[in-house]
Amino acid sequence: MGKKQKSPLQTKITRRDFIKTTAIVGGTAAITSQVDLAFRRVASIEGAPHGDKVVPYPLNKAENVIYSVCLQCHTACTIKGKVLDGVMVKVDGNAYSPMNMLPHLSYDTPLEEAAHYDGKLCPKGQAGVNTEYDPYRITKVLKRAGKRGENKWQAIPFDQAINEIVNGSTFVDGTKTPGLQEIRAVQDPDLMAALKKDAMAVAGGSMSLADFKAKHAAHLNLLIDPDHPDLGPKNNQFVFQAGRIEHGRKEFGKRWLKDAFGSINFYEHTTICEQSHHIATIQVTNAYKGKGKWAGGKEHLKPDFANAEMVIFFGTGAFEANFGPTPMSELVTWSLADRNMKMAVVDPRLSKTAAKATWWLPVKPGADAALALALGRWIVENERYDANYLVNANKAAATADNETSWSNATWLVKIENGKPTRLLRPKEAGLGDADAFVVSRGGKLLVVDPNDTKNAVEGDLFAAGTINGIAYKSALQLYKEVTMEHSLSEWADLCGIPVRQIEEVAREYTSHGKRVGVDMYRGPVQHTNGYYNGQAVLMLNVLVGNAGWTGGYGGGGGHWHEDGSKAGPFNLKKLHPGKLGSFGVTLTREKWRYEQSTLFKRDGYPAKRLWFPYTGNVYQEIIPSAAAGYPYSIKALWLHKGTPGFSPPGPNPTLQAIADPKVIPLVIADDIVIGETSMYADYLFPDTAIWERWGTPHTTPAIQVKVSKFRQPIVDPLPEKVAVFGEKQPVSMEAAMLAIAEKMGLPGYGKDGFGAGMDFNNRQDYFLKMAANLAFGDKAGGAEAVPEADEEELRVFRAARAHFPKSVFDEARWKKSVGNDDAIWKRVVYFLNRGGRFESFSKAYKNEKLGHPYSGMFSIFVDNVAAGKHSGTGAHFSGLPIFEPVKDAFGKVLHQSAEEYPFQLFTYKEVTGGQSRTVSDYWAQLNIAKENYVYMNKLDSDRLGFKEGDVVKLMSLTNADGMWVLPNNNDRAVAGKVKPVQGIRPGTVGVSWHWGHWAYGAQDFVIDDSLVKGDAQRGTGLCPNAVMIDDPALKNATLSDPIGGSAAFLDTRVKIVKA
Amino acid sequence: MPEIPVIQQIEDVTARMMDDLQRALKKPPSERRWGMVIDLTKCTGCEACTVACKAEHKTPPGVNYNLVIKTEMGTYPNVREIFLPRPCMQCENPPCVEVCPVSATYKNEEGIVVIDYDVCIGCRYCITACPYGARSFDFGEWYTMGTPEIAPYETAPTFEYSEKRVRKDDASPIGNVRKCNFCIERVHEGLLPACVTTCVGRARLFGDLNDPNSLVSEILAERSSFRLKEELGTEPKVYYLT
Repeated sequence: MGKKQKSPLQTKITRRDFIKTTAIVGGTAAITSQVDLAFRRVASIEGAPHGDKVVPYPLNKAENVIYSVCLQCHTACTIKGKVLDGVMVKVDGNAYSPMNMLPHLSYDTPLEEAAHYDGKLCPKGQAGVNTEYDPYRITKVLKRAGKRGENKWQAIPFDQAINEIVNGSTFVDGTKTPGLQEIRAVQDPDLMAALKKDAMAVAGGSMSLADFKAKHAAHLNLLIDPDHPDLGPKNNQFVFQAGRIEHGRKEFGKRWLKDAFGSINFYEHTTICEQSHHIATIQVTNAYKGKGKWAGGKEHLKPDFANAEMVIFFGTGAFEANFGPTPMSELVTWSLADRNMKMAVVDPRLSKTAAKATWWLPVKPGADAALALALGRWIVENERYDANYLVNANKAAATADNETSWSNATWLVKIENGKPTRLLRPKEAGLGDADAFVVSRGGKLLVVDPNDTKNAVEGDLFAAGTINGIAYKSALQLYKEVTMEHSLSEWADLCGIPVRQIEEVAREYTSHGKRVGVDMYRGPVQHTNGYYNGQAVLMLNVLVGNAGWTGGYGGGGGHWHEDGSKAGPFNLKKLHPGKLGSFGVTLTREKWRYEQSTLFKRDGYPAKRLWFPYTGNVYQEIIPSAAAGYPYSIKALWLHKGTPGFSPPGPNPTLQAIADPKVIPLVIADDIVIGETSMYADYLFPDTAIWERWGTPHTTPAIQVKVSKFRQPIVDPLPEKVAVFGEKQPVSMEAAMLAIAEKMGLPGYGKDGFGAGMDFNNRQDYFLKMAANLAFGDKAGGAEAVPEADEEELRVFRAARAHFPKSVFDEARWKKSVGNDDAIWKRVVYFLNRGGRFESFSKAYKNEKLGHPYSGMFSIFVDNVAAGKHSGTGAHFSGLPIFEPVKDAFGKVLHQSAEEYPFQLFTYKEVTGGQSRTVSDYWAQLNIAKENYVYMNKLDSDRLGFKEGDVVKLMSLTNADGMWVLPNNNDRAVAGKVKPVQGIRPGTVGVSWHWGHWAYGAQDFVIDDSLVKGDAQRGTGLCPNAVMIDDPALKNATLSDPIGGSAAFLDTRVKIVKA
Repeated sequence: MPEIPVIQQIEDVTARMMDDLQRALKKPPSERRWGMVIDLTKCTGCEACTVACKAEHKTPPGVNYNLVIKTEMGTYPNVREIFLPRPCMQCENPPCVEVCPVSATYKNEEGIVVIDYDVCIGCRYCITACPYGARSFDFGEWYTMGTPEIAPYETAPTFEYSEKRVRKDDASPIGNVRKCNFCIERVHEGLLPACVTTCVGRARLFGDLNDPNSLVSEILAERSSFRLKEELGTEPKVYYLT
């Protein structure tokens, strides 16, 4: 038996021009067979080479360490990258950071000492090395050389790509792409402002369309539709769609697209993640700002796991996904094991957290509100709520009771036609003109100003009456009535959890005062009723008044402000000379009330597609809306680190749209590999990977101290270096944006791009200003600035970066990015040397209160949402948490036959998997498992005659064939192996998310006529998204939550047959 | 008035254990007895230990010094899942040592069962002899073999046994049996094993069992523990807490 497999060098040669090569690979191993080796070793003992004996261990030397921030999942943990000979060989947790140590090192710990401490880090973070050095990473710009999705490419010079994108081009299949230059119709900031003002006036009804047309006759051709000026300028037909994008890059991108290019259409992906959870939290925590306006709500609160005595997880846990295993696990395991904390986990699957819970509550997917309302009913009926807390109707009353928060439990709500409509106002109650609200106290009505810090107002918890002919009830009374709509046993039937368990959990939860909390994430909210589920879950925290208390509920320690808007030296919100601005209805109709558009005047109800007044980043609607031409069609799309043809529910129609140049004439993407959707691009830019780039992600509320994490390059980016504004830099999202800005002359880039003497030539010019702002802090005069680096700190800083080429690290050039100011620079160095800044752990708690308590109100009745209407029906939304069935975009209840489709499908994340970007992790995802499975209860598999390992196919109402339909590529069945288990609710089927790839290195592709083979082990398993149902009212997109915007991942019933 | 939060009263567990290490390293090697304590109530089954170990040692396909055995128990809806991490047990009476025909594997003076890669002939008798499945053979495979190039992390140097080695061609450790050595090269630097530092649930503890003041000794004195297959008389130095 000889050496059977060919050397990897042979395959490498065919693609060395466009896929990175690394010097260290030079000594690539020859691979021999197992039998060869066994014999060979016996025969050659004496000749075996010795290693270099007793070498110093190099990985705990400060000179080999750069601190940065992971992004294998959105927890974005602080990390410690260990570098040898320019290669990142190991990643660990950053011991300066509270995400990785408990408690973390003091911020002034010397670098050499800190280098000895490896903080904790989850398996995905540990496997970052695999993603960084993925052999399928691209390094040059690829241009489509076949049909979209055919996976034939040509590597082209960066400058050629920029020129063709700006000016248009022709492809081998004859398709012509438009140039961005022609899409950027409005280029004058004054004209943009004038058009915006009058278009808004037309939408609002204060200006006639005829008057608008007369006034702007010369510029009507610059608008998408002169009959609907509120749709905005043609600039809006260029859309930026990001998957995972975070602070830092997000602001960089918005400045470029919205402020310089002039398009309103910048999107993130949040609705395919858990947006309705954010929206429910924001709406419930919004502050009253006067004149009917509510704002300033928190998007994410969490229990204080380290001190709670009982927590309930709804549709999430502490040990997988959520926010996230690295910072949360120890808080929970320590509390469970050493403090006897009790835990209930609501999840149809026995998750790793449920495996350790006192109660596993395998809820029916989507019935979270039924369970939350059942718990609420028991709490209210048994008077186990915190009455002293709930009677407080404003800030002054809260303060008098040593509380930092209060609620509108006692505020009165008008009842019209038997239904709660809006909060009662003083004027309506004959109590004067104050812009405030009304409570009943001992039956007497009183005015309450929620933000009043002097006059404490308390109210009756359960009030009902009539004033001036208006019937009213208190918010808590109405909440009680919602919970009483069903008996406990009826609620139990609806949610699938026995009454006994509901009672046990409710009793335990209300047996620890304020040291309890409920956490939720994706599970309850990725439904059409997601917002209401989220609101119902949040109520459980409000009822016990746990906010702000140690062991209770809070928003975490927060962060310093990287944008310089507080006190930092560079106010990035203002440093934009010649800013163009943008306006118009967003492609997804988000942040917009349908009734305030000219399209409402044209179409009335139902709107052709949902409008989303309360939410943003409605990812699943971007491409389908463009395909439907509602509210308008688009000309160009830029996909950034996202995969809308793979990751949303029901994306087959999205793939059809993106593959069709008639639907989307120009598709640009940036990605680190050829991904499932980026393979449909016309131009694909290589992007920098997580460990090569900059960013300022914000931290999770599980962390009780103030934290500003800072991502910075650990290693030299693999993408090729190109010249932009005369400076060499790695191809990346940022370099592509800067080069387009240079080519088009966009305002705010190049010489004096930030203002006189402040050039904007490369990515550091932006991100180092953020570093300078964070190092300075939020207090005037530098009162909380970090120390300046001393000579030793500067030495280590330089030594740790000695492996970078000048195009990545050039100290003099970096210093210029922060104004050549010596003091600022030395603070930046101190800050970068620690990967951010971290408040002392001693600030986490002030005895019985959190060190950074949530201070504000909670709405039990959400007036702001009650004010809005469903664009499909014109009916008002509910201000109260309700239990709703699955509905389509026209508000119609969706029926899926339980006989034909017996299983409710849900997805989840393994701890080793990120979204779609961990299939390159050979040490983690691909080492721990070889594929994923179709998990079902053994009762179900036995009944259907399935055995473990049988390959089955999933099918649904809108995907009767159970197929991924991949235009210009090979279709793929939604099929995988059955795994019968006990730990899943019967009647449900669970499939994890990270498998079933058809790209990302799983498939062969051709570059410059050379075939590059995919790696089959990256294409195993299944991704179930294709069978998730599309909205029958829309046909080409999934169902969405009309309030929170979340895509309905968890509302599909499937049938399962042997494949 | 609730009591003062307990969380303020602790120090990071790894910091405590690193202090313990400093004491142990001051003693002669023969007076140290390294042991690991794994609290199963805190193991979340995440396998950060498994991956950190791979990253530290750049182990190839088929070679896992550590793994986590997951077992579902019970019948719906009364179901539990148990996670049991399995490093090398560093037995006091290691069955693997007896069967080695060339004395490549032996218990060193600190009680760690080590392998001299340069002596090992790859006969794999020890793999069969180990009752815990803790040993595996390096067949010379590569994770990125089927891809355009062998990734640089597969050929990066490692520092096992304080030897700098680059895994390539037919050189050791290719063709050797491989196993966990409690990251002894890190321990000698005052660092904890990679699986211990990265453990997100803080389930894994490490230290000198001969030092009554070490965290591992204190915990073993307080909590009930078991070892795997105690009936075999192998006397493992990995203890599990339940």
